This record gives sequence, structure tokens and C-alpha cells, in this order.
Amino acid sequence: MKTRKSWVVWSDGRKQSSFLAMSLHRDILFFVLISVSIHAFGVIDAVDVTASVSAAKPQQAPSYLSPGSSAVVSSPVFKPAVDSALSIGLLSSFPEDLEISEYCTELLRLFGQRYVTYVVCLVPAARPVKVCQDCSTSYKSLTEVFLNISSDQMGPGNVSCRDSILRSDRLMLVFLLYSNLDTIWQKSNCQQCVTNDLKGPNNDTLYFLTLLNQTITCFEKYKQGNLTEVCKNCEVTYKRLNELYSGMEKNNTLCIDLEDAMNMTRKLWSNNFACSVHREETVPVIAVSSFMLFLPIIFYLSSFLHSEQKKRKLIHPKRAKSYTSLMNIQDKQS
Amino acid sequence: MANITKKVSWSSRGDESALVGEETPLLNGSEQPRPLRQMSSGNTIFQIDRLSTVDLEEEITTEEDPGRGRPNEIPHNEKLLSLKFESLDYDNIENQLFLEEERRMSFMSFRCLEISRWVICGLIGFLTGLIACFIDIVVEQLAGIKYKVIKENIVKFTEAGGLSISLILWAGLNSSFVMLGAVMVAFFEPIAAGSGIPQIKCYLNGIKIPRVVRLKTLVIKVCGVICSVVGGLAVGKEGPMIHSGAVVAAGVSQGRSTSLKRDFKIFEYFRRDTEKRDFVSAGAAAGVSAAFGAPVGGVLFALEEGASFWNQMLTWRIFFASMISTFTLNFFLSIYHNKPGDLSNPGLINFGRFESEAMAYNLYEIPLFIAMGAVGGILGALFNFLNYWLTIFRIRYVHRPCLQVMEAMLVAAVTATVAFTMIYFSTDCQPLGPDHTEEYPLQLFCADGEYNSMATAFFNTPERSVRSLFHNPRGTYNSLTLGLFTLTYFLLACWTYGLAVSAGVFIPSLLIGAAWGRLCGILLASTTSTASMWADPGKYALIGAAAQLGGIVRMTLSLTVIMVEATGNVTYGLPIMLVLMTAKIVGDYFQEGLYDIHIKLQSVPFLHWEAPATSHWLIAREVMSSPVTCLNRIEKVGTIVDILSNTSTNHNGFPVVVQVSADDEPAKLCGLILRSQLIVLLKHKVFVELARTRLTQRKLQLKDFRDAYPRFPPIQSIHVSQDERECMMDLTEFMNPTPYTVPLETSLPRVFKLFRALGLRHLVVVDDENRVVGLVTRKDLARYHLGKHGLEELQLAQT
Repeated sequence: MKTRKSWVVWSDGRKQSSFLAMSLHRDILFFVLISVSIHAFGVIDAVDVTASVSAAKPQQAPSYLSPGSSAVVSSPVFKPAVDSALSIGLLSSFPEDLEISEYCTELLRLFGQRYVTYVVCLVPAARPVKVCQDCSTSYKSLTEVFLNISSDQMGPGNVSCRDSILRSDRLMLVFLLYSNLDTIWQKSNCQQCVTNDLKGPNNDTLYFLTLLNQTITCFEKYKQGNLTEVCKNCEVTYKRLNELYSGMEKNNTLCIDLEDAMNMTRKLWSNNFACSVHREETVPVIAVSSFMLFLPIIFYLSSFLHSEQKKRKLIHPKRAKSYTSLMNIQDKQS
Repeated sequence: MANITKKVSWSSRGDESALVGEETPLLNGSEQPRPLRQMSSGNTIFQIDRLSTVDLEEEITTEEDPGRGRPNEIPHNEKLLSLKFESLDYDNIENQLFLEEERRMSFMSFRCLEISRWVICGLIGFLTGLIACFIDIVVEQLAGIKYKVIKENIVKFTEAGGLSISLILWAGLNSSFVMLGAVMVAFFEPIAAGSGIPQIKCYLNGIKIPRVVRLKTLVIKVCGVICSVVGGLAVGKEGPMIHSGAVVAAGVSQGRSTSLKRDFKIFEYFRRDTEKRDFVSAGAAAGVSAAFGAPVGGVLFALEEGASFWNQMLTWRIFFASMISTFTLNFFLSIYHNKPGDLSNPGLINFGRFESEAMAYNLYEIPLFIAMGAVGGILGALFNFLNYWLTIFRIRYVHRPCLQVMEAMLVAAVTATVAFTMIYFSTDCQPLGPDHTEEYPLQLFCADGEYNSMATAFFNTPERSVRSLFHNPRGTYNSLTLGLFTLTYFLLACWTYGLAVSAGVFIPSLLIGAAWGRLCGILLASTTSTASMWADPGKYALIGAAAQLGGIVRMTLSLTVIMVEATGNVTYGLPIMLVLMTAKIVGDYFQEGLYDIHIKLQSVPFLHWEAPATSHWLIAREVMSSPVTCLNRIEKVGTIVDILSNTSTNHNGFPVVVQVSADDEPAKLCGLILRSQLIVLLKHKVFVELARTRLTQRKLQLKDFRDAYPRFPPIQSIHVSQDERECMMDLTEFMNPTPYTVPLETSLPRVFKLFRALGLRHLVVVDDENRVVGLVTRKDLARYHLGKHGLEELQLAQT
């Protein structure tokens, strides 16, 4: 619990600092960061259950470090540039070889920018879901930066940022941030809906969207009048759309955008317009099933009446003399 | 209390017998009341039974002429012992041939024997696993095709109209599959019917059930179970696996197949009842292990059912067979699922993982679990009670094979009809989760994108339904669906068990229990506001399944371990054990376990763990059969042939005696010889006279006896000429010179313990001068059992 609190405080500090100088999307960012941090905390927690003792110890270090650093970031004179933080902060005192190189700093900055772009794109696309159609390009650029960061190839000046940015500390913030967004991407299954270079929706998706638009237009057109009109007039387009969807479902070429759009359409069709099939032929079903249920009764009755009952012949075992007589007595009594 | 009531009825009985005036002075009549064959109240029930089923005329004649002259005929009931069952010869016959063979064998050959025992156990496990794998794959494929066809049909007719045609198609497909299975079972091998667990239980108890461990039985069992599961009956394929494993064991250990007339000339040493039975217990364990992915449960099953003769080495080997079996199944299924090496399918039924946070239980839930156990016990007793009456009806009236096939077909058709009707009228529609397990979701009249929740329970193989009840998230089923499902499936499963199809009762029980258990979970969650406390209905489904299964089959130790192993979570050990205990205690109060009921109804002389309580006053003198047909140490061939061919007696063991004096005095015991041995001797014409003339004749060895095992020829097939009838036979070499004997005054529990612990077949009762006065066999002991009115006695009957 304690850890989580400190995380919240941390993100709070970030918010006040307006570190990224994007006041327009500050609130959104705050939201995302909180959700990210909570999620990440969950991950770390799951990994570190057994190591809770050891986890408690490093807890101390930030707690005496944090007053200084938080003072730094929340100070009103704080400048938006990253290197200014370097000039003031503790980091400047580290020896040369531990310091982060110019190139990596640049990469980090780029990562931050693109990260924000992607998140900014994602949030408005949450409802109705359009994350794949709208945000695949920004995801692509984010991935590129991250690939650069995480690649083990040397950049200019023979430096690899993988170790310095991704693996230097327990938090591994950049990695966490990226993996959260990556999870969103994986879960939304967008891979299936966009072209291979992630530039935009692929042909299948476009075709589906066209059909979808046709259906929605049809719905709009007849919505005002009698609802049965909708069912009658839009059935063809709806059926085509439905079939296309089922086919795509079978091929596993669906992403969250299409699933969501289809769900909405189906809800409209089945619930709002009540166009799904109705139970109509109850009588024949009841007739056939009661006939079936009647058969065993006939069977058991007839076998009871006509089949001869199986009889068992009793055998009288040999017993000591006294007991054979006893057996006879008993037989008489029965 | 019991003693008093007994005394009252004795005295009344005594009066009546005095009135009849046929009482003869008894050896012990003056000192103690006589044992009764049947208590009076038992008799009345019996009579009502008879009156209702037999036409009156015959009834009157039997009243007039009881048991004299012609044999009594009565309708089949549970209080009978059949003559067709014999004991296994578990006791080793230490005759001279045996001693000679042992002397000849080197140390090395004993080691080889030990190694070949291990090899056999490995083979048993491997083959059992393969069979399980075969059944699983074939069932999955065939059921897949069936459900696909029906689903397409239903989808087609949902819009176009004419769903009754789909219903007929479904019922027809089911019936035809079941007909195939039922025809095989009813016409070719009736012993393959049912789950086979009662039969294997009897076999491990030491009873030779005819044809139970033959290859033909195995083939029909496997095909039959495939047919009945694909046919959509309320059955599982797990019980038959135990039988299959047992047959595999009996076959492999003998190194030959008499059905195929192939002799591989291996494992000849193991061709006797003792060894075979040990291997059969390994086979049963391997079967359990393959069915549930529970190797330890398998071992404990063999231990629980065959525990009378146990040794540590055998246990270890059985465990080996179990492990190999589950591993084999696992391995081949992983190949089938295109994930070779991924060993995550340990059994036919896979409960899935119970490891998530929500599946954890709390201390305050344990009383709830126990209450559920009690409910399971009551429901199980009800199930058994209904099935008991149904089985009696079936034995009495539905005994012709064609009727049995018809009955099975009808059950299949009705099962499909009921399922269809339930699905048709169900209004429970649920959206399908992203990782749903249902392969054949039916939409029917649900909104697009939603599926009929009743169909996920009915339109599926039972194994899958069990798993979805365990693991589907909350809200997959509503409570009305579950309630209706429980009710119908309960009745269907009860109706189905005992049909002439090979199928087990484990899965239906689990399914019923899981359904009402899940219902309990849902209701609990709805009654309390803090729903998270009673988080997961799957947990209650598991407990309900355990309770229902325990209430029906009443297994104890092994079932607990099987369930724990199948869930793969040891922390469930305590609740499952408590639940099974409660279910057993509550259930036993009303009715016996299902398997015990069926064993009784088959009139098998089954020896339970212990002698019936309050039977110490019965002594060997009253229990034994007498007089005994004895043979002289040097006996005339003609006499032996006559005794053996006497169909009315059909004895199997003959005490060998030395005549002391010429008169009728019982002679002194010097050994025991079995019918099978005598037949081999007659076949090889081991006569004293012949041995004198043909000195070069090969001496008879133990091997000759083993070669004839297990199907010794009947006496009628052995030709003995008139001259040979006059020859003499010397039994000294072949008889068991040291048979177990008891004095006349030994109490029943003592005799019982000897029988149970040593696996005896014959126990000679001798007087103080070692003269044979009687013989105790299994049927003499098994006829006493503790009924509702004290000690009762079963009657012998020809079936």
C-alpha cells in the first residue's frame, strides 16, 4: 500500500511540474500515468511477492532522495528543457562514464514526444473504439523509437542506449511505459486491420467499413417509420455485413474496431429494432417431442405386460443335517 | 436393541417350527437360538413382491409344496447369490511340482521374473494410455462431426422454419450411434455393459467374473463407449477406462490371447490367478490414472478395492504403471494437439486449472462446503434409489437383447429431445466470452452476437460441459437454466446408467453436481451484498461436483485423491475430503453406493472389508457346506470322472483324504485338489497303471497346468475309455498338501478374516481328529449380510 501511495505522489509531482509543457493534455496525461503506474505496480507486485522484504529496503532510498528531487521538479523556476535539470540536479556529479550520452537523451526525448502523441490519439478513440483506424501511425512511430532504444547496435559515438536507458534501475520506466502501450496494441488486435506498414486500414477493413456504413445509413433512413420497415428493408445489407463478419471471425482477421462496430450494429438490429428471429413454430416442436417422450412409456408398459418375467431357480445348498431341516421349515413358512 | 428384536423373532419362529413338528434335535439347539435365514419382516416384503409379479396359480402351488421336489422359482431380487461366479485361486498351491520347479530355478531367473514384472507394468501403462488416447480422439472427431451437422441444420431451419426436423435429425443421429453400441454390447458381450467398475471391483475382490478380462470384451468396451458418448447419452468415458486397463493388464501379463489363439511364449510364469490378479490391479490403477490424470488416485483406487492382499513391491509397480499410463496419454495427446512435448493433458477429463485468486477459499466457507456435501449425499441416495428400482425392472423384464437395444435407442432419442426442448424454450442468452470453450455455440432465438446458454450445457460433450461449468466466468448461466439443467440431467443420467451400453457414471455425476454447485454459488453471491466475498461460482461448482459424485459412488480415499489431482490444486484437499466424507455418511444412511447396489443385483458373492457386525455367534459348523465330496489319495479314475461330471453339484475343490476305516466315518484330511488340476491330470492320463507300463513317459510339470490356464476344458470334452475308468490315480504329487483348515467352533468373523486376508477359495472345516466335516467357500460367507432388520441370509440361485 505504501508503495502505491508514493507512486501517486510521484505522478502528482510530474503533473505540477508540467514537465512536458503540454498544458492542453495535462489531465489526460495525468490519467494515463496514473493508470499506467497502477498497472505497472501490479506487475511488479506480482513478480516481487516473494521478494517483498528486499523490496521494502530500497523503499528507503527514494524517500530521503525525493524531497530534493521533488523540490526540483516542482519549483516554479523549472525550465522545460531536460538538460537544465541535469545542470542543477544530482546527476551532474556522476562521473563521465556513468552519465547518459547525448544521443540517448535525444532518443529519450523523442520517445516522450511520440508517446504522448500516441496516448493523445488513443484516448478520444476509446468510445466508439477506433484505436486501430486512427492511431496505428503514431503507434508505428513509437515502436520505431523504442526499437532504436532497445537495439543492441551501437549508435553514433559507439554508444548503446539499451543498457543506459532501459536497464539501469529497478523501475525501468521506459520499458514499463512502452510495454503498457504495447499491451493495449496487442489486446486490440489491430495488427489484423491495418496494412503491414501500419500506415492505415487494409482493404478488408475498408470493405467492411463500407458495408457497415451502408447498413447504418439504411438504419437511419427507415428508423423514423415503423420498425418492421427497418427489418424488411435493411435485411439484405445487414445479412451481408453479418456474413462478412462471421467469415472474418473464422479467419481471425478481426480487430477491436470492427468487433465493436459490429457489436453496436447487432445491438441496434436485435434490441432496438427487434429484428432477430422469433420463436414461431412451438406447436410442431412440442408435438414431436411429446411423441418422443411418449415412446418410452409405451416401451416399458409393453415389456412389463408382454415380456415373461425372469425367474431365478433357488438352489438348496448342502448343509450340516440339522440345518437342512431348518431350511425346510423356513421354506414352508415362506 | 437389535439383539432384543432378533430374540423376539427367533422365539416366534421357534414356536412355529415346533408346530410344524419337523424339528430334529440339533447339535446346539438347546444352548442357543438357531440362526435364521430370513427375518419375518423381510419375508413379508419378499412375499408382496412375489404376489405382485407372479400369477396366482403358481403361487398357490408353491405355497402348498414348498421347496420339495422341484426347485423354487422366484423373481430376481437383490437377496440372491448366483452360482455362476467362482473364486479366484489366489492361494498358492504348494504341491511337489511347485517345490521342484522352485528348486530348479536359479537366482538369476528369479531376478528375471522380477524384471519382467516391471516390464509388464510398463507395457500395461503404455497400452492403457494409448487406448485412452484412441478413445479421446475418436470421440472428439465423431462428436465434432455430429455437432457440426446438427448445428448447420439448426442454423438453417431457425430462419426458414421447421426446427422439428432438426430435432428429429438430432434424435435420429443419437439413436443410431447408440444402437451400434448397444447391439455390440447386448448381442456380443453383455459383460461389457455399464462402467465396468463393479466388475473390476469384484475381480479384485477375488471373484472370477466370466469373460470379464477378455480381449473381445475390451474391443467391445472401447467401441461401445465411443458409440455411447458420441450418441449423446448422459454418460462419460472414464469408468470404462478402468475396465479397459484391467483387460489390458490381464492380456499383457499372460503373453498370449486365447481369443486370437496366439501364444507369444512369454511371461508363462504368470499364468495363474495370483499373478494375473496382481497385474489386473495395476491395470485398473493405470485406467484410473489415464481417465483422470491421477496416478496416485489410481494406486489408491487399486488399494481401496483390492486391499486385502497387498504388498509394498506391488504398490510400487502399480504406481509405475499409473505414471506411465498418464504420461503416455499426455504425450500422444500433445502430438494430436500439434504441441508435441507440451504435457498438459494428463487425463481424459481435464478439470482445468484451479489456481486463480478467486478460486481460493476461506475458513468460513468450510461449513458451507459441508452442507453441500450433505446435499450431495441426499441427492446421491435418491439417484441410487431410483436406479435400483429401474435396474430391478430391467433385470426382470428387459432381459432380451433386442429389447435392451430398443431401450438404449429410446433413451438416446429422449435425451436428444429433452435437450432440444430445453434449448428451444430457454430464454437465457449470454454473449460469448473472448476465450470461450464452447465449440458449437447455438444462437437460435438470441440476439445476434449472443448465444443460448442452455445450449452450452446440453449441446456439447459432457466433459466440455463440466469444464465450462467450472471455469466460465460469473454470469455465463442464469440460475433458472442451471436449475432446469440439474433436474433434467439428474433424471437422464439416472435413467441411462444400467442400459446395455458401455458407459460410465463419473462424468454425469460431476456434471449434475457442478450444475447445482454453481447454482449455489450464484445464489450465495446474490444474497450477500458483498459479492466479492463469494467470488467465484466455479469453486462451488467443483465442490458440488465432488459432493454429487461422492454421494453416488461412495468411494472415499481414492476419490478424494482423484479429485484433488484432477483439479491440480492441493489446497482443495481438505474441502474435498470433508465434502466426500459428509456425502458418504449422509448417503449411507439412506442407501448403499451405486456400485455396491449393482454388485448385489448381479448376485455376486462379494466379500466386504469386514464380516457383518453381530455375527460372532455364527460358527463354522453353521456356515459350512456339508457333507463334503472327498477324494482318496489314490482314487479310481471312474469315481473322479463321475464326480466331476455331476452337473448338480459342480464342485471345484475336493479335500483329499486317507481312509482310516471302511465304514462311513469321515476320513482324515491330507490335502486339497482343484477341479482344474484333476482335469489336466485326466487329460494327460496320469494314471498309476500307465506310468508303470510306460516308464519313459514325461513327467507332468507345472507348465502343463499353466498351459491349460485360464480356460480349462470342461469334463465332457475329455474322453475316458471304459478300461481307463478302472485305472487308479495318485493325487499325492499334485494336491496341495497343506490346505488351510479351521475347527468346527471357529466364529464367522474369524473365517471371514482368513478368507479376505489370504484370498482363499476353499477352507476345510475339520473336527478335533482332523476329519473333514465341512467346507467353507466364498458363497457360504457372502450369504450373510447386515440388512435393515439385523443379520439376513441370501439365497443361492441359478442365473
